[in-house]
Amino acid sequence: MGGAVAADVTAAQGARPARGRRRGAPGVVELGLLSLGGFAAFFGLWFVVARSGVVPARFLPAPGVVAATFFHLTHDPFAGYTLQQHLLSSIGRFLMGFALAAAAGVPLGLLMGWFRWLDDVVSPVFEGFRFIAPIAWVPFAALWFGTGIGGPILIIFSGAFPPCVINAQRGARLIEPHLIEAARSLGAGHCRMFAEVLVPGALPSIVAGLRISAGLAWQSLVGAELIVVSSGVGYLMVQGQSNLATPIVMSGMIAIGIVGFLIDVALRAAEARIRRGWAGA
Amino acid sequence: MGRSMSQISFQSVSRVFRRGSEEILAVADVSLEVADREFVAIVGPSGCGKTTLLRMAAGLDFPSSGSVLVGAREVAEPGPDRAVVFQQFALFPWKTVRENIGFGLKCRGVPAAQRNAAVDRYIEMMGLQGHENAYPHQLSGGMQQRVAIARSYALEPEVLLMDEPFGALDAQTRIEMQEELIRLARVNPRTVLFITHAVEEAVYLADRVAVMTRRPGRLAEIIDVAPVRRAEAWEERPIEEVMDLGSFTHLRTRIWKMLRDEREAKAEAPRVTPLQRRKAGP
Amino acid sequence: MHIGATTDSRSYRRAVAAGRARMASAGRRPWIGAATVLGLAILWYVLTTATGAVSPARFPRPADVWSAALQLTLRGYAGGTLWLQIWYSSRLVLLGFLVAAATGVPLGLLMGMSRRAEALINPAFLLIRPIPPLAWIPLAIVWFGLGDAAKIFVIWFAAFVPALINTYTGVRTLDRTLIAAARVHGASERQILTEVMIPGALPLIFTGLRLSLQASWTTLVAAELVGAFFGLGRVLIIAAQDIYPGMIAFAMALVAILGALMTGCLGLLERWAVPWRRT
Repeated sequence: MGGAVAADVTAAQGARPARGRRRGAPGVVELGLLSLGGFAAFFGLWFVVARSGVVPARFLPAPGVVAATFFHLTHDPFAGYTLQQHLLSSIGRFLMGFALAAAAGVPLGLLMGWFRWLDDVVSPVFEGFRFIAPIAWVPFAALWFGTGIGGPILIIFSGAFPPCVINAQRGARLIEPHLIEAARSLGAGHCRMFAEVLVPGALPSIVAGLRISAGLAWQSLVGAELIVVSSGVGYLMVQGQSNLATPIVMSGMIAIGIVGFLIDVALRAAEARIRRGWAGA
Repeated sequence: MGRSMSQISFQSVSRVFRRGSEEILAVADVSLEVADREFVAIVGPSGCGKTTLLRMAAGLDFPSSGSVLVGAREVAEPGPDRAVVFQQFALFPWKTVRENIGFGLKCRGVPAAQRNAAVDRYIEMMGLQGHENAYPHQLSGGMQQRVAIARSYALEPEVLLMDEPFGALDAQTRIEMQEELIRLARVNPRTVLFITHAVEEAVYLADRVAVMTRRPGRLAEIIDVAPVRRAEAWEERPIEEVMDLGSFTHLRTRIWKMLRDEREAKAEAPRVTPLQRRKAGP
Repeated sequence: MHIGATTDSRSYRRAVAAGRARMASAGRRPWIGAATVLGLAILWYVLTTATGAVSPARFPRPADVWSAALQLTLRGYAGGTLWLQIWYSSRLVLLGFLVAAATGVPLGLLMGMSRRAEALINPAFLLIRPIPPLAWIPLAIVWFGLGDAAKIFVIWFAAFVPALINTYTGVRTLDRTLIAAARVHGASERQILTEVMIPGALPLIFTGLRLSLQASWTTLVAAELVGAFFGLGRVLIIAAQDIYPGMIAFAMALVAILGALMTGCLGLLERWAVPWRRT
């Protein structure tokens, strides 16, 4: 009996992986290789489909062609400007719209978090307007502010504003009541309370809101530029589209993706830094 | 299966965890036999590897060396013959009390009518009438753990593995549940491996109490409670009376001492380090 | 990226939760909100109609919006009447949303359950994700023209990402003890999927679907603004070209109301499908 059990044991041990990991769990090397395979498959499939002629090259240019066009656009103007110039004017609009939304939204949110009556007054209107997709502001933006700077900025603003308000309000609302009571018992007035309790206390939430807001601002910018402007990456893409120049459209998408990615990375870093500073303090 | 045969058997079990490049010995060379229908409690300080032992019996973790046998078979995977009661209850939030208790039977493919009858039986046994269609979050902690125990019992497993099942409950509820468990063990005896860090709980519930040392977890001693319990008929008495008995306090104090001696012995060597660090600080 | 995706959807979740908390808190003194809305309406009337302080060429009067509403409903505008335009837009949104949900949720489940699938799929996702959905519009038009196919394609790209990320996060953040509990009670791998992982991820799946639906709607309006034969976006852009503020305002209101209705329907569906959720 004992012998049979022992034999059983060794057999089972042989079948079992070391370290007590659950059977069939993949290792780091395998996952790394799979990731590489995923990248290779993405570009490989693109390349093969483009080269095979299943889809005409006019519609799906090979990766190399797009890369060459992208490079070409950086020194050869298309739709009036080079790619960098288009990007600069896009980024300028983005920064203005985003800054405006933050400058208006964060204080409003903090005040709403602090003064209950203001929340009651503003919330219903705010909720109603939030259902309007930012892009639906395009006609009024063009009518009121024109298609140069003002119009696109209104659209970006309408995309970026809500997260600023919501997160600032929430940050202010969720501050420890003890802190507020402590500050009040120490004789802090409204102003001091705002500067020394509310703003620092709500900061992590505010920065998280700004990150969401920046993403939405960048998306709304793209939408605005597709419709109402005469420079910027979105405009470059629309021009590429009307010339059926797929590589140019794709270059625009890549440029937009890269800038959007960089904005996100920068704000993520800022967010992580502020959170870390908080934990350390 | 004969009564003398052991249901759970840890044979020189060790378990090494790897954290980064560091290797941590969580369980060191533990050998322990739990007989059929026996209730064994493992007590020890937190982080002594007692939960790891239970997880290995459940098939949720595996030894780095040595072997774990349940019912004379090497544990290779989790199975309904070894139901686990978790400290955090681990009830499915999206299932009602009834569906939670019937879960194991449903997995086993028991037909609905038969399943319902079994579920009704356990709802009654655990005093859950009136809560059949509640979701877990609508119940108190004690009630939730009753559901979890019923869910495990409903499978009528050979072995029950309980991982600090009352650790998340308040003191009052905890005592109620301890009495409840004793009652259950009488009407429905099972082989139980019970993990706890509460010494009194272990002495009150278990036939034998295994005391484990701080990391690396070793078995320090096994204390046989069953003869005393039988001689003084603990099961027949209310819990507060049992906990006042001289025999009970004697056992409890003995285990406490054992744990403390062991802690002090361990503390001697590293005591230098914190002092040094304090000096080096600003 | 995995961590990124998680925090991203968490902050989405936070934002959504915050929105809900706000609505709940606003509900406490609803007469103040009602008074504000009424006050704004009166202000609108006074500024545009009673005093004429704001020119009707820039901002519509209440009467302008009313006549625009009548025109669109009775005679039609931009190629069709109100019902046709609504039918066109909502049909496309629902189609695109369903395609996105039907691909995003299963793929999210797969990536959440299998590290191998995640490693294989993630790179393509990583490359595509930073491109905002609206940036696909020109490419969609080159590929598919101005018809339905282009719009469904763009909506799919817009709505697919939140559905996938939230489903994935829902599976990954699921309490491991619950899976262990299912396993020790004898659940098979398939039962773990159907009885534990899917219901466990359901609240977050619905969060993802709600974001997907909102993205679908925004994207469709944008796509219709860029180029379409019918739809509310088409109404908006024609009204802009005609410099017709009354119609612009009415179409914007329609966009908001339809968006709110769709979100509301999804909320009802969620309440029915996730009855165990704490309130």
